[in-house]
Amino acid sequence: MVAGLAVRNRYRQNHHVRSDASRSRQRMKPLKPRWAAIALVAAMQVLLWTPGSIAQESRADSIAKQQEDKSKGLRPEVQDRIEQFVAKMTQGGWFFSANPRGFYPYLDSVYSGGGLTLGAGYRGYYGDYAFGEVRGLYSFKNYKRIEGRTVSPNHAGGLLDFEATAGWMDATQIPYYGLGIDTFKEAEANFRLQETYVHAGVTLRPVSWFRLRAVSGYDRFIEKSGTGSSPSIEEVYGPETAPGLGIDPSYIHTEASLGIVWAPAEGYARRGGVYRLSIHDYRNVAGDLSSFQLSRGEVVQHFPFLRETWVLSLRGRMESVFDQDAEVPYFLLPWLGSGSSLRGYGTGRFRDRHSLLMSGEWRWIPSRYALDMALFCDAGTVGRRFKDLKLGDLKYDYGIGIRFHGPEVTPLRFDIAHGSEGWHFVISASAAF
Amino acid sequence: MGLLLLASLATTVGAQQRKFYDDDPIAREPNTRDASGANPRDIDLMYDLAMNLFALQRYPNLVRARNVNTIDELPDSEWFTNRILARPVDIGEAVKGPDTGGGPAPGKLIVTRAKRSGVTPGFTLKDSAGQTWFVQFDAPGQSEAASGSAVVATKLFHALGYFQTENYISYLDPANLEVDAQAKVDTPSGRVRSMTLDDIRKVLDRADKRPDGTYRMLASRAIPGRVIGGFKYVGTRKDDPNDIVPHEHRRELRALKVFGAWTNLVDMKALNTLDTVITENGRGVIRHYLQDVGSTFGTGARAPREWDEGYEYIFEGDKTMKRLATVGFYLQPWQTVPYTEYESVGRFEGDSFAPEEWKPRIPTAAFLNARADDNFWAARRVMAFSDELIRAIVKTGQYSDPSAEKHLADVLIKRRDKIGKAYLPAVNPLVDFRLDASGILTFENAAVSAGFASAPRGGYEARWYRFDNGNGGASPIGAPARSQDLRIPAPAGLPAGDGEFIKVEVAAIDPPHSSWSVPVHVYFRRLPAGWKLVGLERMPD
Repeated sequence: MVAGLAVRNRYRQNHHVRSDASRSRQRMKPLKPRWAAIALVAAMQVLLWTPGSIAQESRADSIAKQQEDKSKGLRPEVQDRIEQFVAKMTQGGWFFSANPRGFYPYLDSVYSGGGLTLGAGYRGYYGDYAFGEVRGLYSFKNYKRIEGRTVSPNHAGGLLDFEATAGWMDATQIPYYGLGIDTFKEAEANFRLQETYVHAGVTLRPVSWFRLRAVSGYDRFIEKSGTGSSPSIEEVYGPETAPGLGIDPSYIHTEASLGIVWAPAEGYARRGGVYRLSIHDYRNVAGDLSSFQLSRGEVVQHFPFLRETWVLSLRGRMESVFDQDAEVPYFLLPWLGSGSSLRGYGTGRFRDRHSLLMSGEWRWIPSRYALDMALFCDAGTVGRRFKDLKLGDLKYDYGIGIRFHGPEVTPLRFDIAHGSEGWHFVISASAAF
Repeated sequence: MGLLLLASLATTVGAQQRKFYDDDPIAREPNTRDASGANPRDIDLMYDLAMNLFALQRYPNLVRARNVNTIDELPDSEWFTNRILARPVDIGEAVKGPDTGGGPAPGKLIVTRAKRSGVTPGFTLKDSAGQTWFVQFDAPGQSEAASGSAVVATKLFHALGYFQTENYISYLDPANLEVDAQAKVDTPSGRVRSMTLDDIRKVLDRADKRPDGTYRMLASRAIPGRVIGGFKYVGTRKDDPNDIVPHEHRRELRALKVFGAWTNLVDMKALNTLDTVITENGRGVIRHYLQDVGSTFGTGARAPREWDEGYEYIFEGDKTMKRLATVGFYLQPWQTVPYTEYESVGRFEGDSFAPEEWKPRIPTAAFLNARADDNFWAARRVMAFSDELIRAIVKTGQYSDPSAEKHLADVLIKRRDKIGKAYLPAVNPLVDFRLDASGILTFENAAVSAGFASAPRGGYEARWYRFDNGNGGASPIGAPARSQDLRIPAPAGLPAGDGEFIKVEVAAIDPPHSSWSVPVHVYFRRLPAGWKLVGLERMPD
C-alpha cells in the first residue's frame, strides 16, 4: 500500500508539473495508479528479461549466461594501433637490430663535433642476407652525410662478408689549432671539408671472435672555408702550419685490419675486450701531395666487479704516420679532442703525425638494460715524431657521463668533461669506447 | 498492488543475489559456447613487455580471484586441472607428466621448418613415424642445461595443474637429418625460402656438440588443436565466448607468482604461452598452455641466469635512481648471494631465497594482482611435493653429473620450504573444514601441520550463524565458542531442515599472527546425508 501511495503521489506531482508545462499534455489522460504500478512491474521484468536467456538455476547456468552474453559481442583479436606500430617497428628492425628492413632511424655521427645529429635510412634486400641501403645524416651544425651501401655477408660457409660503399660528406666547421701538443686554444680556426668516397671490401671471420678486413677505394677531399664562428683556416694558417692547405687531394685508400672481439658486443659491453689494429695506405692520385701510410692500434678491456655492479673500462689507442717525410694533409693527421677521445677538449684540439690516447672509466650500472653512469678520465698527447710522445706532455681531462643503452648498443651518451681549457659537453650516439 | 510490486522485485532481485546454487561448489568450469571462430593473433614482444613493465604496474586491483568456486578452489578448466594436493599424485604419475609416449622415433629425421622465435637454436622436424616435433638444443658450454630444465619444469608444472607440452630429451645424430623439400626458413630479408643443409649446419653450430658428434635435444611434441597464438596475462580474448574472467583475476595465473618463485620462472611473458582450439563435445573450445617453462632454475637459453634475475624486474625506476645517486653502492641481495654453479643447472640457490621478494624479468598483471589467499592456495600445492617426488622429477632431467642433479633437487626442496614458511602463515591458514552430522566442526591448520607455526595460543574461535541463501542475511546461533583443538562443537539450535544453510566464522587466536584473527567464513548446507561444505571465503572482498 505504501508503494502504491508513493506511485500515486509521484504521478500527481508529475501530472501537476506537466499541467503547467503544456496545454497539449494537459489533455493527456492520466494513467490510473493501479495500471501505473502494473506497467512499472512489467517494465522492470522486461528490463531484467533477456531474449533467449538461460534460466539461472545453477552455477553452471550463471556462467553459461555470462558466456552467452559475451558471445553476442565477439570481436576478432587484433592488435590495437599502438601495438601495430610497435610491431611494425619491431619487424622493421628498429629496436637495436642489425638487420633493419625498409625505413629505419639511423643514429651515427657525420663527423666528430657535428653536434646533435638526426638520420634515417632505407634498406632493401636482394638476397637472404645481402642488402642495399641509402642512409643520410644531418646535424644541427649543418654537417651532412649521404651514402649508399651494399653488404653481402655469409659467403664461403659464413666466413666471408663483402661490402661496398659510396658516399658524400660535408663537415662545415671543423676546428683547427695548428700542429703539436703546445698549441693555444686562442689559435682556433676552422675549415670545411667535403669528402667523396667509394670503397669496397671483404671481411674474413674464421671464428666468431676474430676478423680480418681489407677495404680499398677512392677518396676525394675538397677543402673550403670554414663556416664556424672562428676565423677560417686560410686566414690564420699557411701550408707550413697546416700541411696540404689549399690542396684538394685524392687518394686510393686501402685499409687492412684485424680485430679480436671477446666482449658480448662492440656497441656496449661490461666484460671482455676488443683489440683492433689497422694499417691505412693513402696512395695519392690527385693533388700535389705524396702518398703515406698510417697505423692505428686500439685495446679496450672491461673489468667487472661484484657481478658487474661496477666496471673498470680501460682503453689505449695509438696512431702513427709511418714515413716521417710523407706529406700528410692536416685533416688526415691523427688528432685528439672530441667526444670519443680527449673529452675535455674540443674536436681536433691536438694534431700531429703521432698520437697516444689512454682512457679509463669507472662505470656503475643503475639499470642493467637501460642506464650506465661513468666517472672517467682521459690522457693523451700528440707529437711530430714517435719519440715526441712523452708522458710529461699528456693532456688530461676528467668527467662524468650518463649512457642510455640496450643489451648491445649505446644509442645515447651524455658526458661532461673538464680539461685544462674548461668544460666540454658531449652528446653522442655511440659508446666512448 | 504495492505488495505485488515488492514481491515481484524481491523475487527478481533475490534470484540475482542468491549466494549458493544447488551445484555449488562446481568442479569444472563450463564451456558452453563454440569458440571455433577464434583466429590466430600475434602478440608483439616489445609491446607486451612495455605494457607489463610500465603500464600495468599501477594496475593492481586486489579483488578476490574470480574463477574460484564457492569453496575457494579452482574448478578444472581449459586452463588448469586439479592434480597435486587435490588428489594424491604418485611418483609414477608425476614423472610421466603430460607424456603420452616416447620421444622421436628412431631413424631418419626430416627437418620441416626453421625455428621462428626465441634465441635457443632449433627447428621443426618429423620422425620416421610421421610425428611432428619442435626441437631445441643446449647452448655451447651449457651442456644439458636448457633441455634438462625444460623437462624437469614441465613435470613440475604439469603436476601443479597446468597444460604442458610433451617434452622429451633425445639425441640427434646429424647423419640422420634430412631436409624436407617443403621446409622453409625465414631470412633477415623477410623472405621465406627453402631450407638447405647449410641452414641446419648454422643451427647446429650454435648448439652444444657432444664428444661423440651427437647433439642432446629437447623434443617437444606438437600439441593437439589449431594453434592461435599466446594468451595475455590481462583481460580476456575478445573472440572466445567462454573466456569471461579477466586473466589477471584467474587464480592459476596469479599463482605463478609462487610457482614462478619456486622454480625461478623468470621469463613470464605472453610469448611463452600458447592457445589452441580443440573440439570438445562437438564444440570448439580454447585450451591454454604454459608452453615454455624452460626459463627456470639457474640457466637461460644461452648462458647462466643474469645475476639479478629473480630479484629485480629488468627496469625499476626507484632502484635505478638509488644506484645512480649512490655510485652503485645501493647494494641488493643478488650482488652478494653465493652460488654453487653447475654447467647444467646454472645459478640456482635456496639459502638466500626470499619468496616474497622474488620477481620475474617483467611483471604480469596476474603477478601484480596476486593476493595473500592466492599465494596461500599456491603454497599449499608447492608444499604437497614431497622430497621423494621432487628428486624423482629432477631425475627426469637426465643430468650426467649426479652432484648437479642432487643440487637442483636440494635447492627445490629448500625453496619449497621457504615458500611454505612465507605464505602458509600469512593468512588465516585453516583448511579442510568438515561438519559432521552430530554438529562437530573439524578442520586443519595448514601452517601448523607443515611445521611453520605453533598451534595458536588462544586456540580457535567459532561464531555460528543461520544463513539465508536468498538475501545473504546471517543471524547468530548461540554464543561464540572457543577450543584449543581442531574441533569445535556446534551450539544447540542448528537448523535441521533439508536445504538449510549455516555460516561459521572461524578464527585462530594467536597474537604473533594477527592475520589469523581474521576469520575464515565457511558455509554448510544441510542435505539428507549430512552437512555439505558449500562455501569458504578466506579473504572475502
